[in-house]
Amino acid sequence: MSSIILIRRAYNRSSSSILFRFQSLFIPNSHPQFSTSTVKPQNHASGFDLPSKNVSSSISNERLNFSYRRRLLLFSTQAAVEASTSDGLTVDGIVANQWTILDENESDWKSHASAIAQSICLIKKRLKWKELKVRLELLSFQLEKPDIWDDPVHAGKISREHGTLMGKMKEVNGLEQELLEHIDMIKLAREEDDVDLELESVKALLRMRQSLKEKELEALLAGEHDSCSCFIEVQAGAGGTESMDWAGMVMQMYKMWAQRRGYGVTVVDEMRGEIAGIKRATVRVDGEYAYGYAKAEVGAHRLVRISPFDSAKRRHTSFAAVAVTPILGDGSHHVQISESDLRIERYRSGGAGGQHANVTDSAVRITHIPTGITAACQNERSQHQNKASAMAVLQSRLDQREMVRQAQMNAQYTQSLTDNSWGNQIRSYVLHPYRMVKDLRTNFEVSDPDSVLEGEIDDFILSYLTESMDKENDQV
Amino acid sequence: MNLSIFTKTSILSPTLSSRIILNRSISNSITPTPIISRCYPIPNPPISTNPKTPLFLRPPTFSATLSDLQKWQNWAKTLASSIGSTFTDSDNGPNSENLHRELNWLIEDALENPQFLQNPQFIENPQLQLRAELGDLYELWKQRIEERRPFQYVVGCEHWRDLVLSVEEGVLIPRPETELMVDLVEGVVKEEEDDDDDGLKGGLWVDLGTGSGAIAIGIARVLGGFGRVIVVDLSSVAVRVAEFNVKRYNLQDKISVKQGSWFEPLSGFEGRVAGLVSNPPYIPSGHIGGLQAEVGRHEPRLALDGGEDGMADLLHLCNGAASMLKSGGFFAFETNGEDQCKFLVDHMETVYYGSFYNLKIVKDFAGIERFVTGFRS
Ligand SMILES: C[S@@+](CC[C@H](N)C(=O)[O-])C[C@H]1O[C@@H](n2cnc3c(N)ncnc32)[C@H](O)[C@@H]1O
Repeated sequence: MSSIILIRRAYNRSSSSILFRFQSLFIPNSHPQFSTSTVKPQNHASGFDLPSKNVSSSISNERLNFSYRRRLLLFSTQAAVEASTSDGLTVDGIVANQWTILDENESDWKSHASAIAQSICLIKKRLKWKELKVRLELLSFQLEKPDIWDDPVHAGKISREHGTLMGKMKEVNGLEQELLEHIDMIKLAREEDDVDLELESVKALLRMRQSLKEKELEALLAGEHDSCSCFIEVQAGAGGTESMDWAGMVMQMYKMWAQRRGYGVTVVDEMRGEIAGIKRATVRVDGEYAYGYAKAEVGAHRLVRISPFDSAKRRHTSFAAVAVTPILGDGSHHVQISESDLRIERYRSGGAGGQHANVTDSAVRITHIPTGITAACQNERSQHQNKASAMAVLQSRLDQREMVRQAQMNAQYTQSLTDNSWGNQIRSYVLHPYRMVKDLRTNFEVSDPDSVLEGEIDDFILSYLTESMDKENDQV
Repeated sequence: MNLSIFTKTSILSPTLSSRIILNRSISNSITPTPIISRCYPIPNPPISTNPKTPLFLRPPTFSATLSDLQKWQNWAKTLASSIGSTFTDSDNGPNSENLHRELNWLIEDALENPQFLQNPQFIENPQLQLRAELGDLYELWKQRIEERRPFQYVVGCEHWRDLVLSVEEGVLIPRPETELMVDLVEGVVKEEEDDDDDGLKGGLWVDLGTGSGAIAIGIARVLGGFGRVIVVDLSSVAVRVAEFNVKRYNLQDKISVKQGSWFEPLSGFEGRVAGLVSNPPYIPSGHIGGLQAEVGRHEPRLALDGGEDGMADLLHLCNGAASMLKSGGFFAFETNGEDQCKFLVDHMETVYYGSFYNLKIVKDFAGIERFVTGFRS
């Protein structure tokens, strides 16, 4: 059946289109062997690819191969031809049609298609589609220069970015393609009175519609380092035990949030308060997009409550400051640390040391002398590992500092990054006289502080990310 | 209370039990290795007991309910908290915070899935698998607090650099400071261009008074595919433990363990040694009585006592370095601090005038002058 579609499609193109010529070439030998050997899906260049796992399994392999082939053609020729169904319907066309979007349970293909098309448009917007295409062309151009690999570090960066952007581009094009094919299939099924096929295709559309909701979110995390793991640091503000207790609660909130999301959490550095909570602590959060999400938490968090540490039962306001820094992969660091710039100290040690002492505490603090930035770790079981951990924190902080510096030179990003300075009050948690958590940037609020403090902060994060993304887009 | 965990296998005949322990340790080792693959003779083969298997390497054959474990954990926490700064004030021992951290590590080593104790909400089965009986965990923590038994002996291992070394009573627990010895060696080896037999990297290295084998294993890994290492210790427990650790890191073809006193097992190697490292006993005899309880009451005196001024063994090593090292050979010694460092350098510059060059004193991370390094002329 797929060859029927092929032929139909081919006939629908104007004969001047590159696509037409290629497709006509394909038709005579479009047997499976050709499709599998030459045109494999090959967009796994980076970890940024959104998974295309929800591709309908009910559609036969050959049809899939066909879609890959066409997708690939679009890229290899840089053809400006917009993908469309056999009767010329495009994704933009579907959006323009403004078909009513009904509830997911309504088995109406137009409604599904419309929802999907809208999602795709949103994803494109979030990925800054036009800029992405320009950037991609620029990178391709650079990669084609014969001397590019003379500077392997630079070349590596360029080719990584190229791979990442290419992956995103292919992903979105693939989604468009998939949508149009399902529509084609439905039309074909109707023509041929194939009720099963129609039903299956509508189901496939529904699955696509559902999985795209998730992808809309993921598209929010399109920043260069969003997919990285990160460090989250919490520091108690002024105000003694009450604010140390608050800092401890905030840290606990992030630990629980990270666990909920399935991230690994390790305490790297912790200075406890004498009576309660923490003076400061740093945790490492390992997992995909940990930085992308957690960066939305940077700033000062304010608590209002009757302090359990105040015998007079007065209401107190305290602050905890949150900083988040990305853990960049080897080779993508922004700063090269030189050993001679470091001062490495064992702290909390006293006495003669060496054979005199049996200690299990081998805390290490590293100071980067030129910047004065420090990092400490005491939770590892050997000094060597404490040093390695502290180095990772230091590297992350220096990278972040450098990124901010670079961004400040690049006016376009200044806004969003300086907003993230850690003195800015971003959220208010009120336990008394009323109960509410409110984000001061988005005005998003919930009336159940307990669930928030138990780590349910995703809604805050997503509303912030959405809003700042829209803001940025408006500026462009 | 049941203390039999350490001797569980001893009902079997000594040889059989040694097999079992070896097999077990090997099945857990980083790379499986043949049981017997030594081609050098051991003087006085130790007939004594076998190295104890560190807690984290034992099979999780015991179990306890979550609530029983939590009960134990709460009891242990309370005990740790009750210490406050008492130990610190009396002899610079651990405070509550240190003890709490140790308790987490004990849990890490004793439980098959330690994360479940922290996040019980993820547990499907309220039974947790343990590597020791719950009763033993009570006993071990009591020993830690009441007898001040070093934590590393309690769990049978010490994390040192990127290694996890088996340790037990009778062998010194390697110190964090000593990790730097390996960095010092790495530093001189890296500077070298080629790695032929004439150089440092491809040459013969010696670790005298190796204890658990820590420095030697660190060095062997720095040397990579080159060179070889001979380690010496007088203590038979140390020799056994060092052998165990060497095997666990699959370095038995690279590191030979010899029992004997200092240079004695090295006769015939005069002038052929490329690198000599040692952390010999350096505490003045008079200070032994006032040591932190974990050290003074539990660690072997043979590993600590350096004679009246603590310099007896260091001076002996100095003399030996002059005769054993080949020209260009490197040495590094750990000392008790500034005074011993200065004394050693002075000794080498005067008594061995012209024998050594590039003598350096290196500080540890606490800022204490800890190491003396140099090269044989
Ligand atoms: C301070 S410990 C060092 C252990 C190990 N190198 C480390 O750094 O952890 C000193 C070691 O020297 C050993 N030792 C003492 N006297 C010795 C001697 N006469 N010959 C060889 N080794 C000796 C002790 O048994 C002990 O293992």
